[in-house]
Amino acid sequence: MAGKIDENIVFYGHLSELYQLAKEGKIKTGLQGSHTRPCKFWTATKILSGIRNSIVITHGPSGCAYGVKKAYKLTNSRNSGSPYEPVISTNMDEEKVIHGGEGELKGAILEVDSKYRPDIIFIAASCATGIIGDNIDAIVDGLRSKVSARLMTLHCEGFAGEYRSGFDLVFKQITKLMDAPTAELKKQLERSVNIVGGKMGPERTEVDTDVKELVRLLEQMGVGVNSIIAGNCSLEELKRAPSVAVNCTLCLDIGYAIGTEMLNEFGTPLNSTILPYGISATEKWIKGASKYLGMENEAEALIQKEYSHIKEEFEEARKKLVDKIAIIEGHDAIKCLSIAHMLERDFGMRAVIYNFHPWNTGARETSIDYLLETGLDPEILITKGTLAFGKYESMKQTEEELLDFIGGFDKDSVVYFGSSLSFPSIPVVDLNAIMNRPRFGYRGALKVAKCINTALEYSFRKRSALFKKIVFPEKSGLASAGSMTSKLGSELPDCTVYAERRRGKCMMN
Amino acid sequence: MYDELKFENCSHSKDPVLGCALEGVASVIAGINDVSIVIHSPQGCAATVANAFDNHEIDFTKRKIGCTRLFETDIIMGASEKLENLIREADKSFGRSVMFVVGTCAADIIGEDIEGLCKNLQPEINARLIPVVAGGFRGNVYDGINLGLKAITPFIKTSGGGAEDCVNLLIPQANINPTWMGDLDHIKNLLEQLDIRVQTVLPHNMGLEELGSFADAKANILLSGDAGQDFAKRMQEKQGIPLIMGDIPQPVGLKNTARWIRSVATYFDKEEKAEEIIRAGEEKVADILRRRALMIIPRYRNLRIAVCADATYGVALVRMLFEELEMIPELILIRSSNTRAAKILEREIESMGISPKVAFGVDGYQIKKALEESRVDAVLGSSWEKYMAEEAGIKIAFDLFAPTNRDIYLDKAYMGYEGMLNMLEIIGNDWERAFRSKEINWEQYA
Repeated sequence: MAGKIDENIVFYGHLSELYQLAKEGKIKTGLQGSHTRPCKFWTATKILSGIRNSIVITHGPSGCAYGVKKAYKLTNSRNSGSPYEPVISTNMDEEKVIHGGEGELKGAILEVDSKYRPDIIFIAASCATGIIGDNIDAIVDGLRSKVSARLMTLHCEGFAGEYRSGFDLVFKQITKLMDAPTAELKKQLERSVNIVGGKMGPERTEVDTDVKELVRLLEQMGVGVNSIIAGNCSLEELKRAPSVAVNCTLCLDIGYAIGTEMLNEFGTPLNSTILPYGISATEKWIKGASKYLGMENEAEALIQKEYSHIKEEFEEARKKLVDKIAIIEGHDAIKCLSIAHMLERDFGMRAVIYNFHPWNTGARETSIDYLLETGLDPEILITKGTLAFGKYESMKQTEEELLDFIGGFDKDSVVYFGSSLSFPSIPVVDLNAIMNRPRFGYRGALKVAKCINTALEYSFRKRSALFKKIVFPEKSGLASAGSMTSKLGSELPDCTVYAERRRGKCMMN
Repeated sequence: MYDELKFENCSHSKDPVLGCALEGVASVIAGINDVSIVIHSPQGCAATVANAFDNHEIDFTKRKIGCTRLFETDIIMGASEKLENLIREADKSFGRSVMFVVGTCAADIIGEDIEGLCKNLQPEINARLIPVVAGGFRGNVYDGINLGLKAITPFIKTSGGGAEDCVNLLIPQANINPTWMGDLDHIKNLLEQLDIRVQTVLPHNMGLEELGSFADAKANILLSGDAGQDFAKRMQEKQGIPLIMGDIPQPVGLKNTARWIRSVATYFDKEEKAEEIIRAGEEKVADILRRRALMIIPRYRNLRIAVCADATYGVALVRMLFEELEMIPELILIRSSNTRAAKILEREIESMGISPKVAFGVDGYQIKKALEESRVDAVLGSSWEKYMAEEAGIKIAFDLFAPTNRDIYLDKAYMGYEGMLNMLEIIGNDWERAFRSKEINWEQYA
């Protein structure tokens, strides 16, 4: 390690040690006032945006509905060709905040049922109505018989929980829309699965997405996909979802919430693994599913077939990487843990996750537990900048700390897995770039290998002075990619894409 | 008189196309340089504030935003201490001379005394604290802009008297041109050609200290049809700065631009120069279109069109579409409700002898419904209307306004002569794309 880094280190050790320190309250895990995340309302509505022919009524002022509509629904239209999708608000104003908005909500539910004819109406509480205490449940109960749509309330006030509590709430709640398995349906779906943990909406038709790759693998094995929950799923799909052979998690962390709920409620088995980046994780994902499908032989055949297609190129790439150090950007907790898993298990690299915020030890507990259980315990390096209050300056600090850290390495022994908007002096592999998809499955493993090879092959080229200047304005010194909110909209964790001015924008700054 | 559209099933449910008051307040603050902002709110509201800063394109290196991240216990027990601590920390870290302390819905409803807190805390804080109550329920983004303007009004000092011909430009950001800075530059340029100096652009890229000389201007010009009228009126009454051209459309298209230039020139006694500018501008538009766009004449003549926009553009576009492009504006849907804009529009369409269907304060459902029930050939709006048009079977959608689906690197004015050409360029390209086959019909080449 470079000498100067010692002064900047807050934590350097293994994930298990960080986890333990956090549990014992020996490391600060809270987010600073300058590091906001989407609130519970936003994360709840993000999942709801993936349920087809449903309408969300936000009981509150119009801003909350407008925000999520612009972030999620407009993005669905822009990227995935969805039709225009509304998000409704009861448009609470000052008077209604004082006198209560129950009448408004009643009227809104009746109007929405009549004018949109949706399958489901979700009624989402906002901060304003949560505080004034409108009895949303009673209103909804009183209207069930008067409307055609299924009604469901969601207490997702922005203040009512941390960022991910909105995901968990909705995934738990939507199991109430499901029908208990029947023998007949189970027979019908004995060779079908649900992919759980998706969010927002349909897949892009023009991109080889990770989800599409999982569906392709399953279909190659002779397995059908009943539903991607909640990636453009319908009420009908949700109803029969518990009768499938097994739920396979897309994102272990988020998928785990609905998977566990369905397991407890309906006995639907759960195949829960880390994101299937790389061969080892994909193998676990496929074998895990096949066990419940009774298709172990088919799975084995598929694994052999898929691997044979990539073997030569993959193994060639592995040779160049084995024993090298991989520094992995820690902005997205689940992704960086999955990449660490892939790089250690498939490529024999030593993984160091850089600036994994200790906040994640609570928010991403499931994934961390899983990883540790599988015997993987990557190194974690946290520098002061990550925990500092502020915005740009703290980001600048982390970038400088990164450069200090990398200063002791040469480009032949270390590879940086992170955003192309960072400019370390070692090869940069940006797995988020749209052309580098899919990342899941065997094709994904090959794609990753190719991506690494290309980065190594062209490591002689100096990074573009223009690009560097765009990210790091001369007068402002260096900034990290994390502060490039307007450019990393689709790439950074917890961010989404605004279509305004056709620029990717981060949802949170 | 226009034919006002009525919609059923819309009394209680709204599919909003405008942000809330918090965004408006933040939009005023984001226009002031070197200030910090602390939001007393749950963390989701930070996205709304960020949106306002995005709208001004404030560089990420210059944003100084903190949020108290209120949770349930804060709501129950109150969170004044949390706010105090954040103010202290932000003061130390951000080092700005002014800090806006903004209470959103949650803080506003639980009755956090932000004003009292700021007053008590002020002696130990370096930054001047400016409390603003901005619960989203206090209205839409335009109402929020008005609230924000009210909050900075105390900084406006009485005029010491100025002799120059100068004006203030108000609320340039309340405009759905995706690069509204282009409009602002264009207006400044027009005024410069008339030898009229711009004293202050309120609020964009300005220092708070500029408000000290704000009242030296000889007139205020409002660049928005949606917000700022109350503020301008107050300035007229209290500071004696008249609002000029408050009753005519913004300078969009040839005739409106000429009218706008003549009005401002008349006020400042610069008529001769105005005629030169108008002549040159009109000549340029005609010359370029003659060389590069002759065929727009048969294309656009009697095209039945819907306009979905804010009041700034929705009102101003009608004359250009009808009289200059020979289109037929059949449907005019305005996102905000604004009586002043409604009066101007009424006068405009009466003078043109047309009777389009009109609705103010429309939401997403109403726009879609109106488009579905219309018989228009084309829609001029944002990407929202573009997607709605696809569903409604309307073949052509001109994606001009925010939120747009276009990449725009250079600011493009829509106001004035070049602005008209900029709009026509987009309209021309969208037209071409609408009629190009989506796939190659290979069978015909077999």
